[in-house]
Amino acid sequence: MEEGDLILRSKEGDLESFNRLVEKYQRAVYNLALRMLGQASAADDATQEAFLSAFRGISKFRGGNFRAWLLRITANACRDQLRSLRRHPITSLDELVLDTEVDRDAQSPEDYALRRELGAEIMNALATLPSEQRLAVILYDIEGFSYEEIAQVMNCSLGTVRSRLSRGRGRLRHCLAQHVEPSLDEFRL
Amino acid sequence: MFKRKSECQKARGLLSPYIDQQLSTSERLLVEDHLAKCALCSGELESLRAMVNLLHRVPVGSPPRSFALAEVEPRRRPAPFALVSAATAVAASAMAFFFVGDAFDLFGTRVIEEGAKQRMPVPAPEAYQPLDAGEVGTQVAEKWPVWQIEIALIGVVVVLGAVTFILWRRRRRAREARMGRA
Repeated sequence: MEEGDLILRSKEGDLESFNRLVEKYQRAVYNLALRMLGQASAADDATQEAFLSAFRGISKFRGGNFRAWLLRITANACRDQLRSLRRHPITSLDELVLDTEVDRDAQSPEDYALRRELGAEIMNALATLPSEQRLAVILYDIEGFSYEEIAQVMNCSLGTVRSRLSRGRGRLRHCLAQHVEPSLDEFRL
Repeated sequence: MFKRKSECQKARGLLSPYIDQQLSTSERLLVEDHLAKCALCSGELESLRAMVNLLHRVPVGSPPRSFALAEVEPRRRPAPFALVSAATAVAASAMAFFFVGDAFDLFGTRVIEEGAKQRMPVPAPEAYQPLDAGEVGTQVAEKWPVWQIEIALIGVVVVLGAVTFILWRRRRRAREARMGRA
């Protein structure tokens, strides 16, 4: 069934059709939440909350880019989670992510470890960015969105996307240049 | 010297969209022209490009579980907590205003007391004389039943504060129950 049909049926309250949309987009939604929040349990909550809000509000979806609409809801859920995390900061380091699931079988153990460590460094550096710049960098450089899609997700102009991305990358480069471990020389900036 | 510095700053601000090919033709030519003569900014571009390539290599995580919805409860009505707590804050501010105002005699209540003493005994109506400034203040101030307002506000703040506290406790318990289930 086409995405448009699934959306139409979901608008009529068909949960099964909506769950097929969930299956299609849950990877993108979860990854955005994970990188925005840097914590697996918070990302899990934000993802579930985003899909619930999307189902409840799907009647307001007026067509266009469904992925961008869904990720806008996800970004809002992440903002709520960030506020909650600020009020109740995590105490255990085990809760912190850095557990990006790299495909173990597709590479050597050394490469796996290196990429895992690299992922952790980037997560730490991303966490230092203001949330709007972080969102722009994640969507463009990691999730592969276009400027136009990011403008829809962030509900802003293309010029604002350009500026947030530029500032976010500048800060990120500065932060990574200071903290990338010598073992990651291959990736040194 | 200064001109060169400002050119570099301008060019560096455009490097990120330059990498993404998001510049207008005139902006792109400006950047390319500057890069051709500035080794520092060329190095900056390469460094930025290396970081962008690095970000492209960040591994994508798989969701730990399916997020398919099993059932959807009807939408909850918006919690009255925010409304009640805002009303409490407004009432408390009004109460503070009245107390401070009263302490600094902004409402002229002391004039009432002094005026009341001066007016004893009350003159006969036929012995009417123009009011002096103190008495004008007395008459105007008599329209402000400050003590009654203060007592009423204390009551409002206490009631609203109690309701806010109950709603806050209920929210906290609900959140703890949700976390427990998770």
